[in-house]
Amino acid sequence: MFSNTLRLAWQLHHQEKGSVYNRSLRWIQSILMVFIVTLSLTSESVQDYLNNNLQNLLGADLVLSQSHPLSQAQWAELKGLSKNAINTQQITATLTHNGQWQRATLKAVGEDYPLQGEMKTSSALGEEAVSTAVVPAEGEIWLDPRLLSSLSVDMGDTLMIAQQAFIVSRVLHHEPDRLMEGHNVDMRALINRNDLPGLNVADDNMHYRYLVLASKSQTHAIINWQKTHLPAARIHHKQGAHPLALFWKRTENFIGLASVVLFFMAAIAIQQIAQVKMKKEQFFTAVCLSLGASRASGVQIALIKWVLSILSMLPAVVFFCTLCHWLIVQWLASNLIQLEWQFSLSRFIEPLLASMLIFAVFQAPVWMALKQSSVRQLVYNSHNKGSALVSIGCALLVLVGVAATYSDNGLLTVMVLGAMLSCVALMLLSSWVSLTLGEKLTSRHSGLVPFALFMMKQRLLTKTTQILGVGLCAFLLLFTLMLLRDIGNTMQGYKRQHDGNLMVSQASEAQMRDVILWADEHGAELRQSKPFMHAKLIAVNQQRLEDFADKPSGSLATLQSAIRLHWTDVVPHNNRVVEGTWWQPSEPDWQQISVEEEVMSDLGLQLGDRLTFYIGEQSVEFTIAASHVYTPGAGSITFWIQMPPSALSHLQAPRYYMASLELAPSAFTRLSDLWQAHPSLRMVPMKEMIARFDNLLAMVTRVVSGFALLIISLAGIVIVSSVHALEANERKKNSVIMSFGLSRGTCLRVNGIEWLTTALIAAAGAIMGTWVAGLLIYQSQFSMNYQPDVPWLLTTLAIIVLVVMALGLIASRTSLNSSIRDLMQE
Amino acid sequence: MPLSTNSQIELTNVSQSFETQQHQVVLFQDLNLSIQQGQSYAIMGPSGSGKSSLLMLASGLEKPTQGKATYLTNEQVQPLEALRKDIGFIFQQFHLLPELDALNNVALPLKLRGQKGAEQKARQWLEKVGLGHRLTHKPKQLSGGEQQRVAIARALVFEPRFIFADEPTGNLDAVSAKEVTEILFSCCKEHGAGLVLVTHSEALAEQAESLLMFKDGQCSWIRQSNQEPCHVQ
Repeated sequence: MFSNTLRLAWQLHHQEKGSVYNRSLRWIQSILMVFIVTLSLTSESVQDYLNNNLQNLLGADLVLSQSHPLSQAQWAELKGLSKNAINTQQITATLTHNGQWQRATLKAVGEDYPLQGEMKTSSALGEEAVSTAVVPAEGEIWLDPRLLSSLSVDMGDTLMIAQQAFIVSRVLHHEPDRLMEGHNVDMRALINRNDLPGLNVADDNMHYRYLVLASKSQTHAIINWQKTHLPAARIHHKQGAHPLALFWKRTENFIGLASVVLFFMAAIAIQQIAQVKMKKEQFFTAVCLSLGASRASGVQIALIKWVLSILSMLPAVVFFCTLCHWLIVQWLASNLIQLEWQFSLSRFIEPLLASMLIFAVFQAPVWMALKQSSVRQLVYNSHNKGSALVSIGCALLVLVGVAATYSDNGLLTVMVLGAMLSCVALMLLSSWVSLTLGEKLTSRHSGLVPFALFMMKQRLLTKTTQILGVGLCAFLLLFTLMLLRDIGNTMQGYKRQHDGNLMVSQASEAQMRDVILWADEHGAELRQSKPFMHAKLIAVNQQRLEDFADKPSGSLATLQSAIRLHWTDVVPHNNRVVEGTWWQPSEPDWQQISVEEEVMSDLGLQLGDRLTFYIGEQSVEFTIAASHVYTPGAGSITFWIQMPPSALSHLQAPRYYMASLELAPSAFTRLSDLWQAHPSLRMVPMKEMIARFDNLLAMVTRVVSGFALLIISLAGIVIVSSVHALEANERKKNSVIMSFGLSRGTCLRVNGIEWLTTALIAAAGAIMGTWVAGLLIYQSQFSMNYQPDVPWLLTTLAIIVLVVMALGLIASRTSLNSSIRDLMQE
Repeated sequence: MPLSTNSQIELTNVSQSFETQQHQVVLFQDLNLSIQQGQSYAIMGPSGSGKSSLLMLASGLEKPTQGKATYLTNEQVQPLEALRKDIGFIFQQFHLLPELDALNNVALPLKLRGQKGAEQKARQWLEKVGLGHRLTHKPKQLSGGEQQRVAIARALVFEPRFIFADEPTGNLDAVSAKEVTEILFSCCKEHGAGLVLVTHSEALAEQAESLLMFKDGQCSWIRQSNQEPCHVQ
């Protein structure tokens, strides 16, 4: 019995697979599958890479790092708990040569380095890297190839660092303890540990790393020891997670969350297709019933056909997923060095099953409507349209499911979904207002335009979905191509105006004094200067940070390291208190802080929560008294955590400054004087910051463009599906128009007017959306009004309108081929 | 206001056939037919005999396989394509647009032509067919007979010279069919429109001034009013 059902379903599947509605459905499902599976494959590749990175690039079984050295006793204890241990020190320094400078990580190692793995060097650029068992001799420095090129240094040249001469003797290709290579793309240099004292680097600028060989049990013992003895230190070990694992999980989640818009558009298209599909499936089931078959057979056949349809898509889906995965891995490999693409069919299974589950939920209303099939429908030539509530419920279930799967942060989820919903609501509103107004204003008039507007208003739901599809796609394109570009340009000008053209991101008190002297000497203007000290958050309400917050977030990732703690009695000009009360200057309670709003939200903090920071070498507890946000218009230097200045007398820790200066162009060449004296002084000229921002912007634009491509595909399918869903009505309308003695050309003109109106509303909505987004971003970031490029906007509008009209008319060509004979034959 | 009744459709030695995979099917051959404006014609015959094809051919929507079809109007001979703007259709399934109410369905042909006072004129026509109280009802709120009356008003509102009706009472009960028949003939007569209808209903055909019958591959006049005989080979 079942084999007969299977055979019939197979036969029907083959007959129906070429139909427009089945083709559209397959396109939608394929696009979503390719998206979900590629995202999953890429994420797994990255996580694998990170795990591999952890295993091979730790250079030890365990690495303990902190910003101050271990005491003799602690060092002895650590050695006692392990098989072997060595230490390295590193600073971020700016190296100079012949007036050129480059920021780099300078690592100082002893003869015992490396502890695990091998170091690779070569004697000149372009030569093959070989395993090297020795370390730089005293007075020598090894530079990585990029640093050599950047400073235009040759082998044998002398580099001056803090008045100390170093001879460049080898090219450094690889050190085995470069776990952070995955995201730290700083250029690198290696020197002998014995040269370090000569550089006169203050202890507080130094980063100490202790590489340890330890068994599993020793690793656990060291972790426990660290928790009690060195709570501010960071530990990475081979049994643990990569420091970037949470960051990548967050990236995957964000992209997944953004995909809600894809599923939303798919829901629109599938809902259109379901109208046709439901009618056909019900007709078939009713015929089955009239021939004495059971209703269950009809449902079984519909289910089997659906499975066959999904299975028939799989080869193409697997191929395109593999291709996309390969392309993305190649792209990521520029940042995640040695990330390799690997094919594994088993990795497709889970995301494919998840996709199929989603499609089954989308399809459920069609199957449920089959329960309503009866022979009566054949007698009355009618069909049951199914419950709109069920359709909406199923679509919502999918959207909520996708959002819940990828949501890891309430605020971000609300923001992303809120932005999308606002955009959708804006489009819906503009569609309804335009069509209603158009219809009302022209209702007393005759002609093709009033008729087209009237018909569009009557088919408001379908027209709105078309407008929504086209509008969302156009909005994303405009946002990507225009707004991001404009923001980049404006940000450059704005930063220059408020922050000057040189940013000091970290200067010790002594360095800051020299910077001010240098500025006076070279006629530079100090625009801002704010003090801070490093503080590492170790506990919230007496609970360790790792235990308190486990959801990945940008804030948590940053709080894994020491953050900058600022002190001030008054609310900074570029901050605004959003919750709680800022302290009074004379207030005796110094153990209170203000925390930035997003950090509060990311970590789920509330006023009154107690945060324990490790500052200098002491633990200090603060209570959250206020929460602040950044407000533009008074410089960009702002801090997540701020405390009363009265706390300073209770804290023993080095103090630093962030500052910004405006330099004359000629003064830039003299910056190397400052770096010669203070290699660890962290300064970035604005043009370098702009270049970094441009790189970031280019990356964001590429990602959003790729995303927009998916949206365009879905928008096209939404148009085709909605045209197909209404095809019978459209054919009838065109035939009826011709039966009034009017020509086919009249039908074409009516159709053209409809598509022109659709495209105009969608394009206007998209431009309005982009404009509003621009205004909001400009207001919040720069306190400025957004001035879009009007000719550019109008050109874009014209292109969108033409493309949509062409696509709409092509999709409508079947209904335009109708004739009066069709009406006779019904 | 009645139209001037000097237009005429002339079919001269027309044949209609179509190809199937194996052979050619001939519907009719060498048919000569003159359709006068202001007159009514019924075409009867079994299914598949060629009635609808003759209707399509006479209305200029399809071309004959052989023969000549012309339109004589204002003492000018024109190709039959020129008839397009002067004809209206009535269908068995009514084919009202479901989104529009009765008034807007009837006003539709006028609005599409850009004529002023479309709704006023549509209202008058609906009153004429006895539906002045149903102006704002949508098709699904009307009975079959009422829908066909709306369709008649819609077909005549733009004052075509000829009306072509395909089984106009085929979907109606006897009472509704009688009402629709009366309205259809009286409206066409009143406005001087020629009426060509295809039907299986003898009662409907009985009302026409001329009756053409397709039977056993032959086509012949059963009844004729001041009409040249139909020549069929």
